Amino acid sequence: MSSTEQGTSSAAPAEPTTAPESAAAPEVPESFYYVHGKDKVVHKVSAGALQHSALIHGMISNLGYTEEQAKANPFPFENIDGDILQMVVDWCNQHKGKPTPPEDTNLPKQKEKLFDLVLAVNYLEIKELLTYCCKQVAMMVKGKSPEEIREIWMIPTDAEDEAAEKEAKKRAGKEAAGETAAAAGDAK
Amino acid sequence: MLFPILCTPFVVLSEVFSLLESNEAVTASFCSKNFKRLLRNHYQRRTPLMWQACMVDYENSRQVSIANSGYEKKGIVSSTVHVSKINEALNEVVEINGYKTEFWSEFLIIYFEDQVLGSKWIVDYVTTLFNIDVRGLAIDRCSTWAIDWINKRQEKPLSHFGLLKPTNDVSNADESVDYVLKNARSSELLGIDEYVSDNYRFNGKLGPVKELCLWHGHWVTCDSLMNFDAIEIYIGRSRLAVSDLNSFLRHWRAGGSPRLHYLEVRFENKAVFENFDEDLEIVRTNEVGTYPVSYGELVVIRSCYSVQRLDGIRALVSCDHRRFYLIVQHEKTSN
Repeated sequence: MSSTEQGTSSAAPAEPTTAPESAAAPEVPESFYYVHGKDKVVHKVSAGALQHSALIHGMISNLGYTEEQAKANPFPFENIDGDILQMVVDWCNQHKGKPTPPEDTNLPKQKEKLFDLVLAVNYLEIKELLTYCCKQVAMMVKGKSPEEIREIWMIPTDAEDEAAEKEAKKRAGKEAAGETAAAAGDAK
Repeated sequence: MLFPILCTPFVVLSEVFSLLESNEAVTASFCSKNFKRLLRNHYQRRTPLMWQACMVDYENSRQVSIANSGYEKKGIVSSTVHVSKINEALNEVVEINGYKTEFWSEFLIIYFEDQVLGSKWIVDYVTTLFNIDVRGLAIDRCSTWAIDWINKRQEKPLSHFGLLKPTNDVSNADESVDYVLKNARSSELLGIDEYVSDNYRFNGKLGPVKELCLWHGHWVTCDSLMNFDAIEIYIGRSRLAVSDLNSFLRHWRAGGSPRLHYLEVRFENKAVFENFDEDLEIVRTNEVGTYPVSYGELVVIRSCYSVQRLDGIRALVSCDHRRFYLIVQHEKTSN
């Protein structure tokens, strides 16, 4: 379980913490929201950090939750693994209120999780992080031959595509025949 | 690390495609017919694509490059080589779609028995994939067929054209140069660096083009120079005499070559220059003439003469036994 300056994670909604103090500006209490992934671990994230996600930002705007309501109703993202959601939350916290620099050193490094991360980031509509992730995907094939690209990006060969198409046609044919037979049975 | 790219949503796939360099996209398109179709659909949706295809068909170099819109950055995306050059013991040759290929230094080489067919094939492949036209063409004397082929395959004219002299052959190529001068059309650059015989002549019109470069320009007469419609003209190895340049200045003063901004003539032999003809009303000036030529450097001329066109436009002129410059002061006059 990680804990950051702006947010913490716990199995249950955590107590809100006060926003970092500013010497000059008067202290404005920051609002916090709660999200959880497939593992049900709840992450507390500031509204500022969540602005990176167009999806969550839209949900917040539409719901108009109070602090208490937000705490009682974490946003559920059952399609996102807990560790992936943690990476996304960390990134949002690190980039709260500032744009991503072209060479962002605070980006998720676990390349083996890139596919899941891409899906999650795309789902949550975090444009800057998606662009970075896609750059990583594009970089994977730099200087590679067609065979190497096919392997890295798991692209089926023409023969595999043809076989899959034949199989799909066969299945569709069987399904259609089944439906016709069922319809004929119904007619009798 | 593996990444099942075809399992990602359309937005992701599209974003990754848009981040690929042109050579990477061409190489990736050889992964499968389906993947090529996805890439082609992506580039067809992304019109206008700010990429330009350039074809090179010069000696053993037969390739397609992609340049950015400003033409500053170019990279080879595919190349074709004769099958006789295959060395399967040393190189990893892979058959794709019935063609022998080899991945070499970030782009794919495709081996062909027929070199002309190979050149056409790679150009068609790349331009179809990216949905773009050929804008640049660089050829040798044996590849003039490419001019006609490109003129027939697309409506948009070339922007850059170059005829290049062979590496180890100083024989004349009158026929090829003549074909180029009569048939090659290019909007930005028309460059000819080929040998022609002493008695070669061409009196037809050239242009309109922005930049005209004739490195072996001994054949250029005063009459042919007057027929060039270009903004910048460079003539190397010129046999124009000072009397020819006086005639050209007379033609310019009377409103001839109205689009001309810059003329540079390099004499093949030392020119005997004493003074310009009096009727040109040319006067000495302390002004310094500058012109940013397209190939990069700023040309600066000192110890100039000033000559004025009948409509008031002035030009700075400089001449010595090796070079003649004319820089038209279009902006300065209008200010």
